[in-house]
Amino acid sequence: MSVSAITETTQYLTFKLGDEVFAIEISKVREVLDFTAITKVPRTPDFMRGVINLRGNVVPVVDMRLKFGMTKTENTVNTCIIIVEISLDGDTTVLGALADSVQEVIELEPDKIEPAPRIGTRLRTDFIKGMGKRDDNFIIILEIDKVFSVDELSLVRDAGDVPAPGGEGPSGT
Amino acid sequence: MKKTIMTVDDSASVRLMVKFTLAELGFEIIEAVDGRDALRKIEKKPVHMLITDINMPELDGISLVKKVREIPACKFIPIIMLTTESQEEKKREGKKAGATGWIVKPFRPDQLVAVVRKVMG
Amino acid sequence: MNEEYDKLIETFREETYELLSELETSLFELEKDPHNGDAVSSIFRAFHSIKGAGGMFGFDEVSRFTHDIETVYDLVRGEKILPDKSLVDLSFAACDLIREMVTSPNEVQAQKKKADELLASLRQLFPEITEAKKTGKSALRGAGDLVLPAARLRAYRIRFRPAPDIFATGTNPALLLRELCGLGQCSVIAHSDSIPDLNGMDPELCYTSWDVILTTEQDMDAIRDIFIFVEDTAELIIEMIDDGESAVDSADYKKLGEILVEKRDITPKDLQKVLGGRKRLGEMLIDEGLVQPESIQAALIEQEQVRQIREGRLKKEVISNIRVSSEKLDKLVNLVGELVTVQARLSRHALYTDDPELGSIAEEVERLTAELRDNTMNIRMLPIGTTFSRFRRLVRDLSTDLGKEVEMVTEGGDTELDKTVIERLGDPLVHLIRNCIDHGIEPPQDRESLGKPRKGMVRLSATHSGANVLIEIEDDGAGLDAGAIRARAAQRGLVATDAELADGEIFSLILAPGFSTAEHITNISGRGVGLDVVKKAADSLRGEISIRSEKGKGTIIILSLPLTLAIIEGLLIRIGEEHFVLPLSAVEECVELIGGDSHGRHIANVRGRIVPYIRLREQFAIGGSAPEIEQIVIVRNETARVGFVVDTVIGENQTVIKTLGRVYKGLEGISGATILGDGTVALILDVSKLIRIVEEGEVSGQAIQ
Repeated sequence: MSVSAITETTQYLTFKLGDEVFAIEISKVREVLDFTAITKVPRTPDFMRGVINLRGNVVPVVDMRLKFGMTKTENTVNTCIIIVEISLDGDTTVLGALADSVQEVIELEPDKIEPAPRIGTRLRTDFIKGMGKRDDNFIIILEIDKVFSVDELSLVRDAGDVPAPGGEGPSGT
Repeated sequence: MKKTIMTVDDSASVRLMVKFTLAELGFEIIEAVDGRDALRKIEKKPVHMLITDINMPELDGISLVKKVREIPACKFIPIIMLTTESQEEKKREGKKAGATGWIVKPFRPDQLVAVVRKVMG
Repeated sequence: MNEEYDKLIETFREETYELLSELETSLFELEKDPHNGDAVSSIFRAFHSIKGAGGMFGFDEVSRFTHDIETVYDLVRGEKILPDKSLVDLSFAACDLIREMVTSPNEVQAQKKKADELLASLRQLFPEITEAKKTGKSALRGAGDLVLPAARLRAYRIRFRPAPDIFATGTNPALLLRELCGLGQCSVIAHSDSIPDLNGMDPELCYTSWDVILTTEQDMDAIRDIFIFVEDTAELIIEMIDDGESAVDSADYKKLGEILVEKRDITPKDLQKVLGGRKRLGEMLIDEGLVQPESIQAALIEQEQVRQIREGRLKKEVISNIRVSSEKLDKLVNLVGELVTVQARLSRHALYTDDPELGSIAEEVERLTAELRDNTMNIRMLPIGTTFSRFRRLVRDLSTDLGKEVEMVTEGGDTELDKTVIERLGDPLVHLIRNCIDHGIEPPQDRESLGKPRKGMVRLSATHSGANVLIEIEDDGAGLDAGAIRARAAQRGLVATDAELADGEIFSLILAPGFSTAEHITNISGRGVGLDVVKKAADSLRGEISIRSEKGKGTIIILSLPLTLAIIEGLLIRIGEEHFVLPLSAVEECVELIGGDSHGRHIANVRGRIVPYIRLREQFAIGGSAPEIEQIVIVRNETARVGFVVDTVIGENQTVIKTLGRVYKGLEGISGATILGDGTVALILDVSKLIRIVEEGEVSGQAIQ
């Protein structure tokens, strides 16, 4: 998945984690919710914040800050949950991404997007689809299907034994 | 030939009712006012069926049934007793004497018809 | 006709006048001497006659009015009431009124009013009337009586053996049978076996008895009524052989032998004796002289007639049942689930709102929702037997292919399970049965040399156990070789060579992916698809598998599955700010944990019995501190009682199960989630998994120490 894949102008939703601006293709986004009560699921890594009730459906929520090695997302007036539709093993799954704030919907032409640098982003390069430029600021365009891939989330399975990255594992017996 | 049915009752109104009801079915009805009257008439001319009251001044119904059964021509004819609710015991006595069945008074014409059809076919 | 009627009424009138004047004479006597019993009797008789005649000739008002007076005199006759002047006065007034009613029947309205007044004063004088009122019922159903048809066709077997002297009472049995045939479809079989030969025969006696199979909409009373005049002298047995409504899955009825035994035409012993032969049962029984041809005929007719009525019903059932696509049903279940959730919100809102009206509405909605939920769930329940039957063919084909002799036994086919569970159960069961026959049951000659019957047995059974259904697949084959399994598993890296394992744990290894111990790959199994598919299917159904086996004796695989996948009764608990639901079916009781852990051990004394417990707060790493008095929810595990320590037990909760989805796949101890009345999500605990996790943790923990 390289930048060469981006050949046409696409709309993105931008959001902030700390000072950094990230973007997800708008086609992946279903809606944006205000922060709501999240039920923690025991024996799962901390970045898996838990589950919420989305109109009668139980939807998992991932703390993007914890996932990317930052501190836990605090609940502020701007905190929100971006509901995305991703493809897990070929099945469409709905997930929530917890972010500090949602910025705007932007349009980026392909020529405004550069490949991700190999170092310096503190993120795994395969999570990054490209770096967009806007008003002298960089926007990290996420490869959201990779971020939320089975392998990434299936840490759940070993959570009892292996501490999740960026947080302490739940104490076992 | 019309089949004959005898109605035995000291009440003229009951006899009349039986007569009018069964005549409509095509039977010939012979009336008798009590047991003795009935027996005398049957001995002269046997009937195909007998409907008799139980409490009658001369020769009560049960005795009548016994006597009728002794007449060879009437040995197997249907005999229906007219009883009242309070005469449960009489039903059994009558049956023992050879009666075929009973009708509980007061009865309506249609009930009478049902019973006659039942035993006469 | 009119002339006749007039004559009839005139006669009735004259008789009534006569009776009334006799009555008045007796009343004078009674007035003189209140203890004159004869007078009382004749008064009673006269009123009785008037009542009867009134009823017969359409003077219903006379009959009604006289009834209560007759009752009073019945009481007088029984010396329960002493006649006094007021009674005599009333009686004279009654005579006058009756005379008036009979004379001028056109003024019935005014008479009715007078009658009511008289009766009122009579009742005031003698309150006993009301109690003594008898309800007389005609012994015989008149043709005019309304007989409500039962609307369903039912089949009866009637055995009628009249008293030999039945002719002497003027009864013609043929007429009774004809009358019976008038009720519906009728087959009459005469038994002539009791007819003696001519020398010994009394022509005036009836030697014949009859069997009648009747299909009718009438009830048993209607049949009995036909025999009303003979029922105390004749032998009359009326039995319903088909009630017209019980579900039948085929039109087949009892076997000939069963019918004959049931009717005591033959003894079960005779039946056994003859069944060894090869001819048709009926012929054999007759040949053996055990039964009369008529009895066979009657039984055969019975078979045929019940078959017909059932066939008819099967056809009707096609109409009375409607097919609904599973999709629609699933949609309905989802909607009910949402309704349950909304109802929980309503109840919660009502609880915190001081409005009794809202409270009662909420309660009503709760009741209706629960009922709707149960009914909806019930629609989804199907008997597992349909699945069982398809395995018969499988067993037959497989055993032929493998040169084995196998008999399949099924039990509990009527056990009901959720449609989805049944659907998803098919493939795993095929796998397990294949496995039984392929690897379990030995070839016939091997079995013989082992002293086992040539024919192997595969038993498939389903039974209810609480909120679960246990499905057992048992064979009497070679059993599992724990050593071989262990070696194989170690070879495959599924288990450490030095791990300490119980037999049950070793056996469970055969469920691991890619595991197979069969030495040669057969056509049937061993295609690289092992029993792990069974494990996967069971997991997806929130079920569990356990295996018991004895080498040389056989194997039992037990699948424990939840009855339903959609909604359960739950127990809502709270730890800190988190809510959880335990399946109520697993919960035995809730007690308080006082004084906390003793010596750091998680053991409570519940009425003198030791109950180990699990601190969910610790297990789930929930922060904060426990309240002073905690609660223990005690659940029954397969083997023992185990407690779960929680902060608070909130109460019962209708729990709509939501899956946690792919993301949480593989998570143990949590079987799903549900949405509470306040809109938040609570997790549903998988009690037995949690217990196992803790047990394993403790065992391995000790090993390290």
